[in-house]
Amino acid sequence: MSNAIAYRVADFLKDFEPFNFLSYDELVVIAQSIRVLNLDKNKTLFQINDALHDSFYVVAHGIIQLMVVSDAEEMLLNKCHAGDIFGLRPFFAKNNYQMTAKAKDDCIVYAIPITVFKPYVSKNQAVLDFLLESFATNSKNQSDKMAKGLITDSIAFSENQSDLLYFQTLTYNRSPLKIGIQTTVKDTAQLITDNLYDSAVITEQGNPVGIVTDKDFRAKVATGRVAISQPITQLMSAPVVTVIENISVAEAQLVMLKHGVTHLCVTYDGTDKSEVKGIISEHDLVVAQANNPGVLLKEIRKSTSAKELKSVRDKLTEIIQSSLQRNIPLTHIQSIAGEITLALVKRAIELAILELGSPPARYAWLCIGSQGRKEQLLLTDQDSILIFEDVPADKYRDTKDYFIRLAKKATATLEKVGYKLCAQNHVASNMLWCKSLTDWIKQYNSWMNTPGEKSNEISSVFFDYEMASGEQKIEDALTEVIFKNAKNNVLFYDFLGNDALRKPPPLTFFKKFNVEEEGEFKGKFDLKNRAILPLVDAARLLTLSNGIKGINSTFQRYKQLAIIDPKHAEIYLNCAEAFLTLSKFSTEEGLKEDSNGHFLSLEDMNKVDKERLKAALVPMRDLEELIKDNYQLTQFS
Amino acid sequence: MLDWLKNIQKEYPEFWKTYLEKMDKKSNRYVAFTLETTGLNSRKDVILSIAAIGIVQDQVLIGDVFEIAIPQYKYLHDNGITHDFVLESKMPKLAEPAAIENFIAFIENAVLVGHRTYFDVEMLNEVLEKLGCGRLRNEALDIEIMYKKVHDLSEKSIALDEMAKAYKLPVTEHVSPTDDAYNIALMFLKLKSKLGLK
Repeated sequence: MSNAIAYRVADFLKDFEPFNFLSYDELVVIAQSIRVLNLDKNKTLFQINDALHDSFYVVAHGIIQLMVVSDAEEMLLNKCHAGDIFGLRPFFAKNNYQMTAKAKDDCIVYAIPITVFKPYVSKNQAVLDFLLESFATNSKNQSDKMAKGLITDSIAFSENQSDLLYFQTLTYNRSPLKIGIQTTVKDTAQLITDNLYDSAVITEQGNPVGIVTDKDFRAKVATGRVAISQPITQLMSAPVVTVIENISVAEAQLVMLKHGVTHLCVTYDGTDKSEVKGIISEHDLVVAQANNPGVLLKEIRKSTSAKELKSVRDKLTEIIQSSLQRNIPLTHIQSIAGEITLALVKRAIELAILELGSPPARYAWLCIGSQGRKEQLLLTDQDSILIFEDVPADKYRDTKDYFIRLAKKATATLEKVGYKLCAQNHVASNMLWCKSLTDWIKQYNSWMNTPGEKSNEISSVFFDYEMASGEQKIEDALTEVIFKNAKNNVLFYDFLGNDALRKPPPLTFFKKFNVEEEGEFKGKFDLKNRAILPLVDAARLLTLSNGIKGINSTFQRYKQLAIIDPKHAEIYLNCAEAFLTLSKFSTEEGLKEDSNGHFLSLEDMNKVDKERLKAALVPMRDLEELIKDNYQLTQFS
Repeated sequence: MLDWLKNIQKEYPEFWKTYLEKMDKKSNRYVAFTLETTGLNSRKDVILSIAAIGIVQDQVLIGDVFEIAIPQYKYLHDNGITHDFVLESKMPKLAEPAAIENFIAFIENAVLVGHRTYFDVEMLNEVLEKLGCGRLRNEALDIEIMYKKVHDLSEKSIALDEMAKAYKLPVTEHVSPTDDAYNIALMFLKLKSKLGLK
């Protein structure tokens, strides 16, 4: 019997691993036994501890999330897109599922029976290798994707987590210094020093009876209370505080606080009547908490190619995602993401310098726009400018030439990492935005003193900047120029005010969302232009006119405005909150759709979220009035 | 006295008798199907192809596909319509009686699912009558009606493609009747869960 659908499915499969290792005819045969499942949004396909299904799955359409539950909270392990395979456990193990597969949006999934596919696996080494590998990555963590060969059956998700997980298990010293009760104080001190530890456990038949730390030596030996020839039992603190293995950071901290100690002894069953497994020190806790973003920064500094930088950026996405899921404050996430992005840019420039040789003049590379405000969570476009110090006229051309080449290389690297070039070409590799300090000062002067004269488009993104690399003095010089010009510059405020208010209103007269009426995003809500940008623009205007320096993030700007202008504090604080809410919507949408999060599809939102979104749009109207009152918006309206 | 009833039963062709026997039991299988016809008049127009796919336990079974093209040479010739497209079709071809017989054997007692099912069923009944059989006895569901119910629409008609687009189903460029049947099946699963049907 002929079967057009089997061919259609085979056509789909042949583009993806591991199916591309099989012949087309084989795929058609496999396709005949495939069952197609429809999963509605948030529907669970299988859960942790469900009995194994008789098939594994390929995503045909939509996104499936693989999650594990840790400390009663769901944690995202991996997202499967079209063509990805998951649910491979039945191939390799007999025990129940160790993770949950849930549809992130409406999904269509192919179920391929194990019995049908197994013959092809045993016949074909490449298929087997791929399955083993993806089994390992799906069950562990995306960040291990680079590391090949390491294949385990268990999910070792509790370690190596690349997120801000407070409830992660600790890495601690698993081979502590164990000494017998007969050892003298002097010998103990010698052993500790030799091993570069700061503590030792005193054991009797493997069980811990006491612990000595540097503190004990200081407090009891150096003060002369205990002689160095005495047995260690005179010095040690007993009984020891013991904990079980796999303790979480939070719990370890609690135990330490409760007992007022700096070291915990890990034993087999958590009591002092069993074997010593390791020692947790306060230092381990500090490391664990500062762990992940720090590690990323280190990795960035070590990276030597765009590819490595990209893998760091992918990890950052994971961090952001899991942070959002566990409701870590958005400002915190933003500042971490901002630092990491900045480090990425800096490294991209360094790589370009390594290639081109050291720069002929001092310079400053400024990230502008959303990264300048440290509000960039998603992979949006890159905006940057480059300022180099003034050089003699005869050297000008060569210098500019060097910096343009530098910028081209650096932006190309960033493009590979995933930051698209700005649509208006606001990047340092553009001749216009790579020039000497004097030229830049002229540029800002003309923008600010005669706005709208040459062109109506002064892009306000140029007024939010953050230095990624280069000479601090250059940035300071620019800031000074801007604030000098901004003082009582009615015309400029007028211009900015109009710019901020010109954006289309988010709600219609009937308090319905103003959605796009045509084009690619028809029926969607333009979150960026209608909701976020007006708030950002207004904040910039207000801070410039109030002379607030050095605060770039919109949230912080409103907070600061509330302090210096207490009369309208309420409006400002509402705006700060609204901004966070809107950013969160945008980020979540962006992560969900793998887009830049500019457009929200209202259909997919539940009623509560819609109301929250609406509420976040309200403070803007008060702000609008405030701006209209403060600045006479006449010249350009 | 009721002998005449039995006599009628006897006159049915063999395949129809087997079909009727199966109708006693309720099936857990659904069959999404679609017909290509020469027009919209069930008396005058004829069926050009039948495509169908089975659904069991909310899973579309790719192995459970039925597709047949019916080269209606006589009809097409009589009405001066070219029949190149029938010849070009990759689907297996059978004459009308055999095609219908196979189709009846394929659907058995499953619940039929289609887009504007009433028309398709009417077309099939017309052919069955020619073959001396009764009318189709399967339960039938219409995804157009289901769709209208879910979205509370009062528009008169919603095309299949329109619905596929609304549900972001992948639409292939060259749509064969089998693809349509497959899309109907997927849409049916979506609508079924939205309506909360068991």
